[in-house]
This record gives sequence, C-alpha cells and structure tokens, in this order.
Amino acid sequence: MAQAKPAKAEIKILTANRLRNGETVYYTAAGEWSPYVTQAKVAATPEEIEALTKIGAAAYAANLVVDVAVIDIVPGGEVKPAHIREIIRATGPTVRSDLNKSVAP
Amino acid sequence: MYIYDKFDHAITQERVNEFSQQVARRLVGELSEEQFRPLRLMNGLYLQLHAYMLRVAIPYGTLSSKQMHKLADIAKKYDRDYGHFTTRQNIQYNWIKLEQVPEILAELASVEMHANQTSGNCIRNVTADQFAGVAGDEVEDPRIISEVIRQWSTFHPEFSFLPRKFKIAVTGAVKDRAAIQYHDIGIQIVKNDAGEIGYAVYVGGGMGRTPVVAPLINPFVRREDLLSYLETCLRVYNLHGRRDNIYKARIKILVRDLGPDEYRRQVDEMWPMTKAAGVDVPAGEVARIEAFFAPPAYEKVSEPVAAYADAKAKNPAFARWIQTNLHPHKVPGYGAVTISLKPIGGIPGDASSAQMHAIADLADKYSLGELRVTHVQNLVLPNVKQADLFAVYQELVKIGFADANIGLASDIIACPGLDYCALANARSIPVAQDLSKRFGSLDRQHEIGPLQIKISGCINACGHHHAGHIGILGVDKAGQELYQITLGGAGDEKASIGQLMGPGFTGEDIGGAVEKVVNTYLGLRQSPTETFIEAYRRVGPAPFKESLYGRR
Amino acid sequence: MAVVDRQGPIADKWTHVADDAPMAAGQSVIVSFARLKNEHNSLFSAAGAVGVEIGGDANLDELEPFLPRLGVVVIRMNTMRDGRLFSLGRLLRDRHKYTADMRAAGDLIPDQVLFLLRCGFTSFEVKDNFPIDSLKRSVAAYTNWYQRAGDRAARVAELRQGSTS
Repeated sequence: MAQAKPAKAEIKILTANRLRNGETVYYTAAGEWSPYVTQAKVAATPEEIEALTKIGAAAYAANLVVDVAVIDIVPGGEVKPAHIREIIRATGPTVRSDLNKSVAP
Repeated sequence: MYIYDKFDHAITQERVNEFSQQVARRLVGELSEEQFRPLRLMNGLYLQLHAYMLRVAIPYGTLSSKQMHKLADIAKKYDRDYGHFTTRQNIQYNWIKLEQVPEILAELASVEMHANQTSGNCIRNVTADQFAGVAGDEVEDPRIISEVIRQWSTFHPEFSFLPRKFKIAVTGAVKDRAAIQYHDIGIQIVKNDAGEIGYAVYVGGGMGRTPVVAPLINPFVRREDLLSYLETCLRVYNLHGRRDNIYKARIKILVRDLGPDEYRRQVDEMWPMTKAAGVDVPAGEVARIEAFFAPPAYEKVSEPVAAYADAKAKNPAFARWIQTNLHPHKVPGYGAVTISLKPIGGIPGDASSAQMHAIADLADKYSLGELRVTHVQNLVLPNVKQADLFAVYQELVKIGFADANIGLASDIIACPGLDYCALANARSIPVAQDLSKRFGSLDRQHEIGPLQIKISGCINACGHHHAGHIGILGVDKAGQELYQITLGGAGDEKASIGQLMGPGFTGEDIGGAVEKVVNTYLGLRQSPTETFIEAYRRVGPAPFKESLYGRR
Repeated sequence: MAVVDRQGPIADKWTHVADDAPMAAGQSVIVSFARLKNEHNSLFSAAGAVGVEIGGDANLDELEPFLPRLGVVVIRMNTMRDGRLFSLGRLLRDRHKYTADMRAAGDLIPDQVLFLLRCGFTSFEVKDNFPIDSLKRSVAAYTNWYQRAGDRAARVAELRQGSTS
C-alpha cells in the first residue's frame, strides 16, 4: 500500500550569515559553511530537518553565524530556494548584475 | 560648517575605541548576539541579506568636500565601490565586514565623522532643511540648533534604550523641506511678536504602520529652554511609551493614546524639574556654534550675469536643468544646485566612489567646499555662482548626474527594499527603475509637473510612501511581491497621509497602474498649473480608483 | 548572582526576602514594595536595615514617604532593553531626592553600567560571570560628556569656557 503523501512537501536547507563578515552561507554535507547555495545539505525528512535546526542553533551558540534559518527549497534538481527573499540572498541584488553571486564554486 | 575642537575629537576617538572593544568582545563570544545587537545598532550597523550594512551619519545633511572624498575612499576600500544616500540625509554601505568596522570608524573619525546613533532605539541623527543657511526664506539657519541637539543627544545616558527609535528634524523656514511633522519631534524655528527666536515643537509624528502627522505641542519654546523641553518630552515617552508591541512603541502612539493635551500637561508638569537639573545649553555655547555657520565669503556679483543668460539661451537642456535643479540663493548672483542622484533607470540615491570624488571636486571648485544631502536622496552644491552654473552642469553630464528632474516624476524616493534589506517584503528599486523609465522623457515629466513618487518595500516606510503624492508600498502575499498604491500624501508644511486606493498590483502591473493614475490626473486637471496634489485634493480618490479598478 | 559597583565586586549585606518568608531580627532585607507598604512599621523596627525592590511600573510618589528610611532601592527590569530604568533613576534622585544606594538589577551588560551611573545608580546586581575587566574598561570609556546628567559631571560646553582649542 502506498504511503500517505504529506500535505505539503518539505525540503529544506540551513542558511545563516557569518558572524565576522556577514557573508551569506549555507551548511554543507561536508559539515562546513559555504557561500554557494548549491552546496547546501538537503533535508527531506522531519528528522533531517530537526538535525539541521540543531546544527544551526549550535553554530549560533558557538558565535560562528547569526540570522540562522532553515528555509524551503524547490523540489528536484539543483538546490534552489523557494522564496524570492532567499533567491536574492543566494544570488545577490537583482538590480546589480555586476554584483551577482555564484551559486556554485 | 561646524569644526571639531579637542573635546569633539576626544569623544569621537573614545567612541571608536569603545565600539572596537565591543566588536572584539562579540567576536570572542563575551557578548551574545542579543546583547550585541542594540550596541551595534547604536553604531548604525545592521545585518542585512548579503552582509552587514553600515549607516554613517551626515549630521543635518551638511558635509565638506574632504568628508565626501573620505566617504568615496571607504566605498572603494571596504565596500563594493558605491554608497547609498538615504532619506535621513545619511549614507549607507551595503557590503561591510564586522571585523573591519573599527578601522572604518577610525577613518571616519579622521574627517570628523561617525556612525553614532544612526540606528537603534535612541535619538537618531538630527535632520534639517538641505538649503539651510542659503535659503532666503529662513528665520534662522537650522543647523545651529541642530548641532546643539546633536551634541546633547550624543550618548545621552537616559535615552539610549528608548521604547523605539526617535527622530528629530528641524526647519528654519516656513516652507518645510525637512518633513518635520512626520518626525517624532519636529522643530520649526519661529519668531515671536517681540522678534525673539524660539521653537515651535511638534511631537508624535511618524510613518510606519500607523502614519501620523504630528500635533503642535508647544508653539514657542525659548532657545535657552529647548534642551530641557526636549529632555522632558523624551522622559515622558521613555517612562510611558509602550514596550509590549514594537508597532505601538513609537511616541506617536503615546501622544495619540494620551491625547495631545494630556501629553502636553504631563510634559509641562515635569519640565520645571528638568530645567532645574541644568541641562539647557549655555548661551556662550550657542554663540560658539553659531559662529561656525556664519555666511562664507561670498563675492559681490552684479546681476544679471551675462555668461549665464547666454548659456541658458544657447542650451535648452541646460535651461531646463536650471528650471528644476536650481534653488534661489539668498545672496545675489548665487544659486543652490541640486544634483540629481536619479538618473533615468538608475538606483535612487546610489553613487559610485568615482562619482563621489567628482562631486567633492565640484564642491571645492564651485561651492566653497560644501555639500548637502537631501531627504529626497539627492545632493546639493549650496553655493554656486551663476557664472559657474554651466560649467557645473557640464561636469555633471560627464558623471551621469545631470538629469533635470528634481521634483518631477522620476525624482523617486525608494528604500533599498528586498534587494538588500532583511526587513523588506518586496523589492523597491526595480519598481523605481521601471517608473523612472516610463516617465523618462523630460518633455513628459515637465508636462506632468511637480510629482513626488515614494516607494517602500515594507510597512516600516523608509521610502516615505505615506508622504508621497503617489505612494507605493510593497507587500508579500503568499510569497508574491505585490504593490499597493496610496495617493494624496505630502511631507511639506501641508503634510497629509496618502489614502490607499485598493488591492495591490504585481511587479509587472504596478508601472502601468501608476501611468493610469498620472493620465487620470492629466485628464482632469483644470489647467497645466494645477499640480497633481492640488488636483487630488480637489477631486478626491474616486476618479483615480475608477481608473485603476474600473467602476465598482 | 553578584553585586558590583563601578570598580568591581562589592560585599553585599542585603538579603532578598520573599513576601511570605520570615526574616531574622537585625537582618538587612530587601522586600517587595507591597510588603513594604503592608509591614513598614514592623520592618523598620525589627530589621537591621530595609531596602525595597521595584519594577518599571512602580509609583514613585507612593514610595516617596519611605525613601528617607531605606538603605537601598533596587529597580529590576526583565530585559536589558527596558530603558525605563534610566528615567526612574533620574526621577528618584532629582524629583524624590533619594540619596542612599540605588541598585539596578536585571540582565545588564557592562556597557549599560556606564549610562546607569550617569543616571544616579550606585550598585548593580549582575550574573556571577559578569565580565569585570569589561566593566572597568567600559566605565572609563569617556573622559567628558556633551550633556548634563544625574552624575552632574561638567559638560563639554562648560569645559570649553576658558579652553582655546
């Protein structure tokens, strides 16, 4: 029997800004903070999301990062944030193409 | 201009040291983020979407060419080669690293600048008329009392943890170019029947979620009493302002809830005690400060200036620029030039370091070394001889800041919005750019006449949308950016709050909607001299609503 | 919990006593404003010394009659952001002429102590790990001030008289 589908698919990544320079960063599968959104570790189950949340809280408490958030991404393919605010955080101001940020190294 | 003495230098340097220590304590974890946040905000340091943002104070909008050069240097060395001039006459940098802020503050201190109290729940940088000291219609140069207020409010021990931010603006003229009634305290310099100078004090104005035009609380406070009066106004607020809800914490809510009469009564009751505590400014100190704002050495110029008249006759583009960008000067043969930081399709208020250097050079060469920042996010060369105006214009053409659009449809105020700001719900700058292009034709702008469009990317209203003839407010509706239109706002001596027209428009449709509003105005105005705001006040919202949403 | 003044930790003779708790004769006690109002006769006769703790909403006019006999007034705030403390301190000193120890309590950081001192506070109830080095640096951060405050220190404007640069 097929499992009941959750009402809303929840796929998330962990993001923050580095304390010392404010840079927008994403928590990676390698356990590091990367400026590239496509390197973000993806959490697809409630347990994985809970684990990311805890990692974020610990990194905040350790004064590595601030403005910690677990955010939604678009399902499938390369990691892409779901909300316009997070797309702008990942890619830079939409009005200065010369200042765009890369999503991958 | 005000020039620091050894005391001002010492305090500014001690502040650099103090904040450097605070940053160091944060980086090693002695201070938590919760503890550090109010401290960094009091130093104008925000955490935004991409980096820290540093807001540097330009007290009452006056700065020297030397200071402008330094601001440009900081943009190049510590940011991405540009800065953003704000509606509170400050400049902010968007890509700042926390660990470099102490160094930046030291650089600022070297030119008598700082970032004190440009954010946080304290008394913010005081703002004033950008034409202070050069406008013919002023009772007194508002910068004198503004500097008195700047010093009194700097590191005020009682008012650094207020319920919410606190903004003071001063105008010395009857024509209000500082939007004083939209401030927590607005001060208008007045003369009484005996010819003495004093201050009409308005308290409890503001924008944000609940826009309020401030009521007059005291029509005449004597100069020697002003600081104790302000201190009492603040003390009543600090004790009784709401702290349970950030949207109800501004003084406007306290004054509204108490009623202006009861608020006035409480202030009057407490005032004698504050006076007795000796907080008022000594007369000698006012005289000392006043001397810094004595008129510079103007040349005697006999009008008309032939070269100026000739240049206007031969260059229609220059003549048109004069029409919009030149403000009359109290000294014959001089003018105050507004440099438009609103190139068509550009980002309102942004300037590159190269542009800042060029403008500083213009100030040295043509404006007695002085510059101003306006609350409409433009710059001013306050002291230009008529004979030099054409040369100034040509130099501005070279750096892309010669648009003849001051006060017109493309002279748009826009907050940084969701492209930069952590609080924003929607982008502001792309909407400003779209509108600027739509109204880009100078013929069309001049045909439309005076029109103030103001855009905020969230309800905090940094883009002053409530005070826009056409105001635009960006909201987030289920993840989509939508833009609401308000009409009929004004921020001058006839201050009024814009009325919401109806449901919001998408980013694609908002430009067309504003065009409809403008076309409706053009269709119903009684003559080309009836301005948008006059026409709106005459006919009300109905025809505009109909043009936007159809007959309902 | 520790008590400091501008120079660092100080010996504290005071004991906070709950409203329903008994107290030993001769003890130096800090009680709530409610208890002070209800039991002031017995408190002032039995205790060694009496202090009161108030919050941001306290009615200082009601407190005024007791002030001459109090050895400490503690003003407690729930968060470091609640700045009513600063104005209450000014009022207690300037309007109600309170002269004994005035103590700020709550989630304070060293940087606030500097301003609290300027508002007339004399001691501070802080957490045990309160950074004393930072406190000492913080209270010495400035030589002079622009405005007159509760400490009555001379202002820059006054110092300028007779100064040439």
